[in-house]
Amino acid sequence: MLVFGDVFAGYGGGDILRGVDLVVEEHSLTCVVGPNGAGKSTLMKLVSGLLHPRVGKLEFNGTPIGKASPRQIVKQGIVQVMQARNLFPELTVRENVELGAFLVSDSSLVRKRYDEASEMFPIVKDRAKDRAGALSGGQQRMVEFARALMTDPVLVCLDEPSMGLEPRAARTIYQSIRTMHAAGRSILLVEQNVRAGLELATHGVVMENGRVRLEGTGMEVLNNPQMRTLYLGGTIEEGKVASSTGAHAAAPPGAP
Amino acid sequence: MLVVQGIIDGILAGGLYALMGSGLTLVFGVMEVINFAQGIIVILGAYLTYVFATHIGVDPFVTLLITIPIMFALGYGVYMLLLRPIKRDRVIMSLLVMYAVAVVIEGCLDLVFGGTLVQVSTPYATSSIHVGSLVFPDIYLMAFGLSAVLLGVLYVILYRTKFGRSLRATTQNTTAAKLVGIDVDRVSATTLGIGVGLGAAGGMLYGMTASFNAASSYDLISRLLVIVILGGFGSVWGAMAAAIIMLVIEDVISVVWSPVWGQTIFYLVLAAVLLFRPQGLFGRRMARAQ
Repeated sequence: MLVFGDVFAGYGGGDILRGVDLVVEEHSLTCVVGPNGAGKSTLMKLVSGLLHPRVGKLEFNGTPIGKASPRQIVKQGIVQVMQARNLFPELTVRENVELGAFLVSDSSLVRKRYDEASEMFPIVKDRAKDRAGALSGGQQRMVEFARALMTDPVLVCLDEPSMGLEPRAARTIYQSIRTMHAAGRSILLVEQNVRAGLELATHGVVMENGRVRLEGTGMEVLNNPQMRTLYLGGTIEEGKVASSTGAHAAAPPGAP
Repeated sequence: MLVVQGIIDGILAGGLYALMGSGLTLVFGVMEVINFAQGIIVILGAYLTYVFATHIGVDPFVTLLITIPIMFALGYGVYMLLLRPIKRDRVIMSLLVMYAVAVVIEGCLDLVFGGTLVQVSTPYATSSIHVGSLVFPDIYLMAFGLSAVLLGVLYVILYRTKFGRSLRATTQNTTAAKLVGIDVDRVSATTLGIGVGLGAAGGMLYGMTASFNAASSYDLISRLLVIVILGGFGSVWGAMAAAIIMLVIEDVISVVWSPVWGQTIFYLVLAAVLLFRPQGLFGRRMARAQ
């Protein structure tokens, strides 16, 4: 569904992503983990159109989206919940959620989706008239999730959704992600809580130094002995297959 | 009674400055662009009105049907051609670009009209309503009324339309606005168009209430910046309140003390307020949530 082919990208001061090859399958919950500076958030910015690849292929359902604007990306059915809190703090909760359907012109459809979103996230109904900026961090995340669903997206990208939340709020967020996935959405999740993220995931991806280093099912990646090395300051050896768990290390660029 | 007359004059003139300042603060709120050209844009609006009213004989209020669309297109074009390409150091670079725009417009106006002071004359320019010893000049009442109507229209656009919601969203969080599919460039260009269009309306009223030439823009932009800073950069309602407060203070000081002190107090109040509320009277500490 979403394909990265040898993607290089950065912010002008050199590439952060250095040859990313990755496929996000339809109906999967793909979780990307990796140490700080691995390029996870840069990867997400590419998907949302906030950043464009310098070179390489980025396709969604066969359509190139590497040069698409965020608006065109939303029209394709991809939405993103960013790392930092990204509500409109002075607008009400209802206005925030309704803005998720900014590109939907049918007002009855907007109402229907709003009702569905408030059913899935009761905070939307309970605090509809409150300023979004007055909500707690966890509540704001819920409203962002509700807003993301207003376009009835095919792929939902979540960039570190549990960041800064206390454990109970984080658990609620993870449950919401499960619910969205169970409802048939494909999810691309970047998560700093490696265990929680990979336990949720149908597909796990480890990034390091701007490249994909390890892939497999979420549990395979989580149980791979190289993960401990990576998070204790080591690095994953390129091309080495960890047959004991099934997860495999990604081949270096240019390898056959 | 002089004080009451000063307050009335201040409120009526404050409405006009609120109209001129609202365009400036609106543009800053959405784009973080300090439109240094707003003063000369007001003067350009005044000159356009002068041309249509004096040489063609159109009533100044009717000229708005022509000048507002022209000025809207100018603002839209300036954004698309000159501001949109700026990718780095946006605040500083856009300030320089708008300064350059101001210099170019001023040069053109000087070339066409010279430095002679002119004023838009109308049959109702000198008439007034008297209530006891209080005087309500017709032209200021009309100016205040038109300002109220246009600011009311602005309110409806901002709070009762889909575009207004997208504009307020962009003001509060540009990245999030992009991620819900808002075309931030179109919103920004339209906002600059509205800001410049409001400048045209302000210019028409300014041209009827004062004599002007291109150099008048410097005094105007100084006053507008004071009003917008006091109101809180980005706050349209703050600019309106600050305009009325400042003009009332200036007019009261002018009638009870001296016009020279009236203008000086204008800037002293700014300095005093900024010492205690750097975000302005009605602004939040952070103009934009990121």
